[in-house]
Amino acid sequence: MIKSSINEQASALPRRAAPLEVRDLTVAYHEKPVLWDVDLSIPEGQLCAIVGPNGAGKSTLIKAVLGLIPKASGTVQFFGQPLEAARRRIGYVPQRSSVDWDFPTNALDVVLMGLYGRLGWFRRPGKAEREAAMHALEQVGLTAFAHRQIAQLSGGQQQRVFLARALAQASDLYFMDEPFAGVDAVTEAAILQVMRELKKQGKTVVVVHHDLETVRDYFDHLTLLNVQVIASGPLEQTFTPENLKATYGERMSVGVGR
Amino acid sequence: MDLLAGIFTDYTLRNVALGAALLGLVGGVLGSFATLRRQSLLGDVLAHAALPGICLAFLLTGTKAPLILLLGAGLAGWLASLLMLAILRSTRLPEDSTLGVILSGFFGFGIGLLTFIQHSGDSDQAGLDKFIFGQAATVVGEDVLTMAVLGGVALLLVGLLYKEFKLLTFDPAFASSLGLPVRGLGTLLTSLTVIAVMIGLQTVGVVLMAAMLIAPAAAARQWTNRLSTMVWLSAAFGVLSGVLGAVISATRENLPTGPLVVLTASLITLFSLLLAPERGLVWDWRRTRNNRRRIRLERLLLDAHVLYNHAELTPESLAQRRRTAPARAKEELEELAARGWVTGRGERWELTEQGHAEAHRLEQAMRVLPKALNPRAEGGAGGAA
Amino acid sequence: MKALHLWALALVLLLSACQVQDFALRPIDGDRPVRAVATANFVTDLVQQIGGERVQVTGLMGPGVDPHLYKASAGDVRKLTQADVVFYSGLFLEGKMVELFEKMPKAIAITDAIPHELLIAPEGGFEGTYTYDPHVWFDVSLWAHTAEAVRDGLSKVDPAGAGYYAERTRQYQARLQELDAWVKQEIGRIPPAQRVMVTAHDAFGYFGRRYGLEVRGLQGVSTVAETGTRDVQELAAFLAERGIRAIFVESSVPRRSVEAVVAAVRARGKELRIGGELFSDAAGDPGTPEGTYVGMVEHNVRTIVSALLGGEHP
Repeated sequence: MIKSSINEQASALPRRAAPLEVRDLTVAYHEKPVLWDVDLSIPEGQLCAIVGPNGAGKSTLIKAVLGLIPKASGTVQFFGQPLEAARRRIGYVPQRSSVDWDFPTNALDVVLMGLYGRLGWFRRPGKAEREAAMHALEQVGLTAFAHRQIAQLSGGQQQRVFLARALAQASDLYFMDEPFAGVDAVTEAAILQVMRELKKQGKTVVVVHHDLETVRDYFDHLTLLNVQVIASGPLEQTFTPENLKATYGERMSVGVGR
Repeated sequence: MDLLAGIFTDYTLRNVALGAALLGLVGGVLGSFATLRRQSLLGDVLAHAALPGICLAFLLTGTKAPLILLLGAGLAGWLASLLMLAILRSTRLPEDSTLGVILSGFFGFGIGLLTFIQHSGDSDQAGLDKFIFGQAATVVGEDVLTMAVLGGVALLLVGLLYKEFKLLTFDPAFASSLGLPVRGLGTLLTSLTVIAVMIGLQTVGVVLMAAMLIAPAAAARQWTNRLSTMVWLSAAFGVLSGVLGAVISATRENLPTGPLVVLTASLITLFSLLLAPERGLVWDWRRTRNNRRRIRLERLLLDAHVLYNHAELTPESLAQRRRTAPARAKEELEELAARGWVTGRGERWELTEQGHAEAHRLEQAMRVLPKALNPRAEGGAGGAA
Repeated sequence: MKALHLWALALVLLLSACQVQDFALRPIDGDRPVRAVATANFVTDLVQQIGGERVQVTGLMGPGVDPHLYKASAGDVRKLTQADVVFYSGLFLEGKMVELFEKMPKAIAITDAIPHELLIAPEGGFEGTYTYDPHVWFDVSLWAHTAEAVRDGLSKVDPAGAGYYAERTRQYQARLQELDAWVKQEIGRIPPAQRVMVTAHDAFGYFGRRYGLEVRGLQGVSTVAETGTRDVQELAAFLAERGIRAIFVESSVPRRSVEAVVAAVRARGKELRIGGELFSDAAGDPGTPEGTYVGMVEHNVRTIVSALLGGEHP
């Protein structure tokens, strides 16, 4: 990316701020860098994938951008604003494995948690909130499971509950951390449908994706990450053998040049 | 019952029972969150860490006023929890090792201080060691008042911040993404647990306090899948343990109240672990046993069904197919007959209408074609879903 | 490396063998004061009285220390090892040190000098370990016997001082006889109906028997066990029923339990105040009159008499 010309253009034209603008992001544990000098610009209204080998820092990128882990350096802007100002416009679907599903609560309750941001301190969820939550569950096809204890849900259903929770946040920008990992075909289809629906509504979705086979079918924008950004841009331009080799090393063997 | 009436009429029993009930109430509520956050042993750390706080408070002020000592206990417990968090964040020491190190470190320091005070010849120090095991029977009106105020504050905060604590416990990452001050809330929750410990120190003492945070919550979890119900139940179990423990200790001389309260709470937990529906061990065992039996019968029926359709259903053919002895096969046929799935006697058996219907239903449900009789057809059998 | 291990092992064994020697009772060599160690501070006082200038006594327990609960520290063990002779009360008063003393020939239980028929054995015994009530020192006549145990023990390690110790024992026993008579006289001033004494734990059995008082404690003979709710209730009921107006706290037992009884009795609408602090399992601060055995007894008696006569004691 040529930073200077972008800046010139920015001052010349009145531009809508990008949903996500990351500059020089670096995250390190002890001496080892996990993310190094990451620059990223996510375009609005598209389905964007972040892809890379294990340990590439993909989850870390999302967490650092959302302020969940400290960063060593860098700036992050959402729609031209810092995180604190833009929180209402951001939705988050964490990895399914990040919680203990034996928690005593049901699917509806979990989705309601997505509305806590709107409720603020001290207020309890009421009828309006319940309806919004049920609506979100409907969108992922889990209406019948609203009162099911979450431990009794299958992996795919749990993933959809997390998705519904994010939908309840009614955001403009969504972050999803490996939403397709280990889910059944029905769930995969449901998630994809939701994503496409969001795109139709003009929302932006950033997804950490684990499966190179499906990247081309599902996404418009691709970022290849391996501690540093190898390439980032529209899918067709970015998904090339050279870029993949640079990201994954020689052991790449997905049918790329088809 | 005279004894139960005594809870209201007798000054001693009333205050002891109230004190124990307050402990149970606050311990039950805060223990619910502690156990769900997998910080059950934190209560143990806080309680053991209180000992040096009590000793230092005595050394610095020279008095044994309960409020001063409890304040010392609370501060020390709080310090221990902060230290623990700091160690967890900045080193690679796993959680249980950190807990162990802090617990034994603080407690050892406390015992050292206690010994030092005992040897120092200050005649006013008698009774500090009573904090190790508590002296529930000596709770009087003022103590109950102190406990009620402290407990009230803690419970009020839990009530106000219930949904925040719930989210924090379930999914701290998501909570953080919403902008919730996760660290601050976590510290607050731990601080409220410190208050619970302060209430419990005079009643059950340092060593047994952890039980009052863990047992009622663990028991409550067994009976419900909703957090709100769990918290209420946990509080109820706590209060019950407190009152029962106090009442039982009032039936005979030389029965220590604190340990009895803990014993009652433990029995309630044991009962819940074994007998609660769905999660209880006894129910689990019964369910497993029933499942196994059912599956065996279903496979048996399917075997009988295949035999009946493609050859003939006799004890010999069944025995051969199931690779058992004919005598056993006969017993199995009787079992099927008992369920109304087959009829017949001796050598000739057939499936009933019910049996046919059930077999078909099973085949549909399992989408499995039972092994065909003909070995050639074996390879072509459909695969399970 | 194996050879090194063997030498190390041999060294450790040799050193531990050396330790054992230190617990035997042997006459001292040379002309120096006898190093004596005593446990409870009234025992320390006794050894001081009998030993005089020929003995240097160190006491392990200070005022306010409960001998039932006291655990020896490493420093204490060192003192015990370096001593020529050790005196302890015995009859399981020093509950947590008994094991230690049983391994030490040079440790002498002074209550061994009291004929067993004179000891109080409560029915059923208590807690398995107590055959006899150990609080013998409040019967001044019994305490006079223990002086002889100290005299004999000191004479064994310091034969040259035998005569000195014998003389001092005679003088002290005379003093104790006077004290005994005085206590009888003082208690005699209390009308028989008022001669009931309630304390924090059952430390005054011998006192009651010798001087004609009914005594009762909240806790049993040992303070090790936790007070139970029923114990508080029963004592409160007893006090209210009998109309007793004073209860006594003890210097080495926490006040809290007694205060709980006071609160319970007051809730029943009866008067009860704390009649004063008694020295039960420990004498007072060293250097004060109450720091000696005689002073301790005198303080107790004055406090009891004053309170039971309805005096203005706080």
